[in-house]
Amino acid sequence: MADELSTGAVEDGDEFEDEEVDLTTLDDADLRTQMMDDLYDGLAEEIAEGTKILLSRGWDAEKVLGDVLVEGMRIVGIDFRDGILFVPEVLLSANSMKAGMAILRPLLAETGAEPIGTVVIGTVKGDIHDIGKNLVAMMMEGAGFEVVDLGINTDVDEYIEALEKHKPDILGLSALLTTTMPYMKVVIDTLRERGMRDDYIVLVGGAPLNEEFGEAIGADGYCRDAAIAASMATELIAERRNAA
Amino acid sequence: MTRPDQTPAKPRRRRSGGRRGRQAARVSSTEQSVAYLERTLPAVDMLDEAGYAQIETNAEIILEEVGVAFQGFPSALDLWREAGAEVRGEVVHFPKGMCRRIVQANAPQSFIQHARNPAHNVKIGDNSTVFAPNYGSPFVMDLDRGRRYATLEDFRNVVKLTYSLPHLHHSGGTVCEPVDVPVNKRHLDMVYSHIKYSDKGYMGSVTATERAIDSVELSRIAFGGDLQDRTVMTSLINASSPLRWDATMLGAATVYAKANQASILSPFILAGAMSPVTIAALAAQALAEALSGMAYYQLVRPGAPVVFGTFASSMSMATGAPTFGTPEAGQAIYVMAGLARRLGVPFRSGGQFTASKIPDAQAAYESASTLHPTVNAGVNFVLHAAGWLEGGLSLGYEKLIMDADQLGMMGVYAKGIDMSENGQAMDAFRTNPAGQHFLGNDHTLQNFETAFYRSKIADNNSFEQWEEDGRLDAAQRANIRWKQLLADYEAPPLDAAIDAELQDYVGKRKSEMPDALY
Repeated sequence: MADELSTGAVEDGDEFEDEEVDLTTLDDADLRTQMMDDLYDGLAEEIAEGTKILLSRGWDAEKVLGDVLVEGMRIVGIDFRDGILFVPEVLLSANSMKAGMAILRPLLAETGAEPIGTVVIGTVKGDIHDIGKNLVAMMMEGAGFEVVDLGINTDVDEYIEALEKHKPDILGLSALLTTTMPYMKVVIDTLRERGMRDDYIVLVGGAPLNEEFGEAIGADGYCRDAAIAASMATELIAERRNAA
Repeated sequence: MTRPDQTPAKPRRRRSGGRRGRQAARVSSTEQSVAYLERTLPAVDMLDEAGYAQIETNAEIILEEVGVAFQGFPSALDLWREAGAEVRGEVVHFPKGMCRRIVQANAPQSFIQHARNPAHNVKIGDNSTVFAPNYGSPFVMDLDRGRRYATLEDFRNVVKLTYSLPHLHHSGGTVCEPVDVPVNKRHLDMVYSHIKYSDKGYMGSVTATERAIDSVELSRIAFGGDLQDRTVMTSLINASSPLRWDATMLGAATVYAKANQASILSPFILAGAMSPVTIAALAAQALAEALSGMAYYQLVRPGAPVVFGTFASSMSMATGAPTFGTPEAGQAIYVMAGLARRLGVPFRSGGQFTASKIPDAQAAYESASTLHPTVNAGVNFVLHAAGWLEGGLSLGYEKLIMDADQLGMMGVYAKGIDMSENGQAMDAFRTNPAGQHFLGNDHTLQNFETAFYRSKIADNNSFEQWEEDGRLDAAQRANIRWKQLLADYEAPPLDAAIDAELQDYVGKRKSEMPDALY
């Protein structure tokens, strides 16, 4: 009887062969393509290696960042939004981006190139829920931001201390609870009292929030999910720099 | 900078083709399918040994004292007389234990129904569960055109959709009634459509002896040669409850039994009208009816595959309307499945029933309240598993899609709990400190893609995203999906010579008789 029956799952789709690619043998164009694939596949070591090779060939850090890493992560972002890439995969891609950024950051600082941006982020006081906030931090890093993560249960003094220390472009406030989300207003009001509010773009997010709440407490933007948070951060920084 | 969720060092990952590779893999992996479910989930019993034994005793008393009518079909009475039953008029009275002995001595515990594509062969019985679509509705409805009489085009559409939906294992039978084709000819178009537009197993016509013969002949052409060694149809023989088999059904059953094809011998009971109102009474009656039908089948041809069927539901005592998804109907499924297991034959019941006219909350609740008992009771063949609306009067295109999504979930559910080393995931704990999320853990990375059933109908996005996407409800999303499936449909291969022979047969039979309204 068993012979007459198929044996369960019908597997479709070939697994791609593990191509051994020697990155040093590729010309610039092919290397860029391969690195964008490797970023997509979340291969941190390969991204670090490729970054070094391009630098050794005379690419400046800004070009590596803009043409390869940011462009690669833009594609990752699109496929994440469209449900092709999953959260654990985007996490790997973001980690690969970080591996490249670790090499580029000191060089970018030396040349005085304008950084993509810095974000100070934390879950507000009274709230210890951080998975959503961590996803936002991951997407921000993936977009090339430097992220200073204050963790959970962050009170207003900790936020202000970090703002003064890191001089970020963006302050990100996160909350999961309806009982802790009002604390976001405490943070924003305190910034205003101290005359610091306009120095930063304040983005807020978390399951119980909505657009209206964000406006009511005086935030610059409400981010409904991690992908939106990263794209909104990029847009608002561009607006601010253009206005300046 | 530091982050509390930094992931530990992992072994070097492999290249997987970048974007192109992943997109290709994702598209193809969405259509994973199995030919049928092999359950590891234990079946739930609603009665203890004493309860089952009491119902079995009561059924034997009904069989002996009240008897079962075999109406308008003298050859059945002859067979029963020869077998030692007492025949009074058209009512057969069975000595205690007789039907049970005949069934247990002859009927297979499980059997294979062959499909045109062997990858779609299904096992019916034991621990298997097979999902088949709606059966018998004169109307169809969809969001665009509303409710209307079904046509042959609707019939073909449902066959095509069922072929395209991986969680429906079987093409079914009269998925809707093509009322635009004369009564005496529509079976030819229906059986041909199942063969032509699908390669999954199907059911034959039961509405007249000669239509069952046509079904067997068309199947002989489709499968090639004699069918005596292969079961290629499982057809639906309904009792005309209470305690009665009619000539039409007996005629079809006799054809299928002689051809070694399977039949579901199925009491059809709306409690209150067709049985006493209580579940214990319904169960005893349904067992008596099914036993008498299956035993008859074994008298015609010992060893022919049979399925113990039960279609049982409740009714509104205020209006007489059948009701579905009620707790009593759920109890009936559990009790009957237990009785079939004790008897040792495959069991058919359940589905996704509702009295609702549209794919709304009532439809979803009532369907879920039928489907969970169906799966938990261990039903082997589930007719009406997708598409049913309005007490069976109507097939819903959107409902078909929504139900099929639920069937996919039941496939996962019926597999039971993975207790392998990977299932226990102790390494994940050992590599993940308390308080750190698991999204970057190696175990997650290796398992996330198949870890959770991904509904194609449910919307899990944020409110804002849902609003941006057009504020669609589940039925509207299902509407988009069935249209897409029909647009993407490609017929399975069918040998041109066989197709020509099938068409010749259909043409010849149609030309031999004038159109008739009966």
